[in-house]
Amino acid sequence: MFLQYIVDVLSLGSLYALFALGLVLVYGILKLVNFAYGELVLVIGYSIFLLKGSPFPWFFMAGTAIVMSIVFSIFTDYVAFRPVREKSVTAVLITSFAFATLLQNAALLLISAKPKNVPMPSFLSDSVQFLGVITPVRNLISIFVTFLCLIIFYQFMKRSTLGLAMRAAATNFNMTRMLGIPANLVITSAFAMSGLLAGIAGTLWMSKIANVFPGVGLEPLLIAFIATVIGGMRSVHGAVLGGFILAFIDMSFNYLLPQDILKFRDVFTFSIVILILLIRPQGLVKGPATGIRT
Amino acid sequence: MKKNLSKLCIFVFSTIVFFSWTTLYAKEVLIGGAACETGMQAPLDTPGINGAKVAVKYLNDEKGGILGRPVKFVNLDGKSDPVTVGNSALEVIAQGAEFIIAPCDFDFGGPASMAAQDAGIVGMSLCASDPLFSSWSLGDKQFTLSMWNTTMSATAAEFAYNEKGWKTAYVVTDQIIAYTRSLSEYFLVHFDAIGGKILLEDTYTNGDNDFSAQLARLKALDEEPDVIFISSYGIDIALITKTLREAGITAPILGGDSYDDPSVWEALGTKFGSDVYFVTHTWMGSAEGHPDMPEFVKLYTDYHGSAPDTAFVATGWDTVMLFAQAAEIAGTTDGAAVAKALEDNEFNLLTGDLDYSNAADGHYPYKAAALVGLTEGNPSFLGWRNPENPPAP
Repeated sequence: MFLQYIVDVLSLGSLYALFALGLVLVYGILKLVNFAYGELVLVIGYSIFLLKGSPFPWFFMAGTAIVMSIVFSIFTDYVAFRPVREKSVTAVLITSFAFATLLQNAALLLISAKPKNVPMPSFLSDSVQFLGVITPVRNLISIFVTFLCLIIFYQFMKRSTLGLAMRAAATNFNMTRMLGIPANLVITSAFAMSGLLAGIAGTLWMSKIANVFPGVGLEPLLIAFIATVIGGMRSVHGAVLGGFILAFIDMSFNYLLPQDILKFRDVFTFSIVILILLIRPQGLVKGPATGIRT
Repeated sequence: MKKNLSKLCIFVFSTIVFFSWTTLYAKEVLIGGAACETGMQAPLDTPGINGAKVAVKYLNDEKGGILGRPVKFVNLDGKSDPVTVGNSALEVIAQGAEFIIAPCDFDFGGPASMAAQDAGIVGMSLCASDPLFSSWSLGDKQFTLSMWNTTMSATAAEFAYNEKGWKTAYVVTDQIIAYTRSLSEYFLVHFDAIGGKILLEDTYTNGDNDFSAQLARLKALDEEPDVIFISSYGIDIALITKTLREAGITAPILGGDSYDDPSVWEALGTKFGSDVYFVTHTWMGSAEGHPDMPEFVKLYTDYHGSAPDTAFVATGWDTVMLFAQAAEIAGTTDGAAVAKALEDNEFNLLTGDLDYSNAADGHYPYKAAALVGLTEGNPSFLGWRNPENPPAP
């Protein structure tokens, strides 16, 4: 049972960590929360759903959906962020909410209010058994893919020029610009990578819930937001850590709470989140020193 | 003088036109709806609305309306929000509605019926099955077309224990709404009363999207249950079933009318959509459900361009037809008279014969339940059932 618990926490945590990482990437540079972030999951779900009748193999559909996620993430930058970036935080807050609402209502009008089935290859639901643990292949793939993504992501940030520029921009954006790094390129790259991470996490999420509906993006957004708040809004390590911690808290309560109070699980989860923030208001991991909005 | 006369003529003429127009307009029987066309309640309410539209057209084309007056149906989207549902009901009542169609659930539909009760007209839920949807809680002019969960759960329990010989059960209760909670509650009571043993009860909350902890608790049991009763709502039914099957649990799965949703069957697919049984309102597939079913399916197909895919369309048709029959018996659309006609008579409906108790006994709907099984995601009719001694509400 304990090993089962570990696998459950890791598989859920890896999804949460990927979602959180995608959100913090944009926040780190712009110091603005992208509230349209959850809608990337909506884009993923409906992309695969719309490709359902096509003769392409599933991996092609999933690949296209991830590309669509990247495209929509960059699109978010152009539509909701770039025109009002120089103005107030409130303006961006509203435009990103507006963009999210627009996408949701487009799905409502053009597709349906009803949940639609998202096709998934059947091997993802095959179960494997090892050391007394039975888990679907999907959970192991989630863990594997996430760790692979994290390794690639850290290497990219550490070794590539663009990664260096993004890290520099996250630390001191004005200084970075003065040194000749094109601001828009860095920001667009951040949105693209955020879209890629959300795309991968969203596809794994879809394989779990297998359905898409206009409100599907709310939960991933909430997860990512809370995870980054726990882990530290300015640190990529913090976001990943926050994701795993949130999954750990959620799953522990699922296992431990008595039946009668299990429905109030979120109350307990958020109490712990508040407790963490009271002790460490800046989150568990402290990011770069400056937090000035650019 | 001549000029004045012509002015007078125009005035008299327009007055006549105006009054005859308003009297004609007032003659129309307006059926108001506050059912949900968007949001989480939409999958259950939209089919009902579609069925109701067909019934209204049928009444106007074939039956000369209700009491000789043409019928009009206006539904204002309740948006799966109890407050909006209440406001939508108030608005259609203000437009002159003489009958209210409430959403398919106590939590969502209650506000519409309360508004109807305040206006002194009959309100009827499309398919709310929680015994809370009664004249006790909503008033003496409020009804639900559905059987209550007492009947639904007892049917499931008796099917499992008496017919299939499944002696032990594992019960999952989704905490989201009154429907899911009371369905489990009555199942637990009745399964125990007829001799079954409950191995484990667990809870889940709709939208959690994760069932792994519950699964671990189930797997920790010494014996695997003979049957799994999942009282949930919407696509989460498919998610839970999938999680159980993926973990190698093959016990049959049993549930209520929320399973009667094609998107659930599709989500289960051929891989997970077998050995699933549920209790619902009727069977659309053939005349086995009701002798008039093929005719209804034809009318529905003519109206909407495609055949109905869930039994919930029949609840909409029945709601309108029930009101029409009761109003014809009463000879008026007056709320109190129609409510009395509903209490005093038996009705033959697509969703089974229906007999209400009087308001003091809660408008208990005495009704049979339809039993449906899924094989590789395809439903098949197992017949009508009448539980012998359903638990008290």
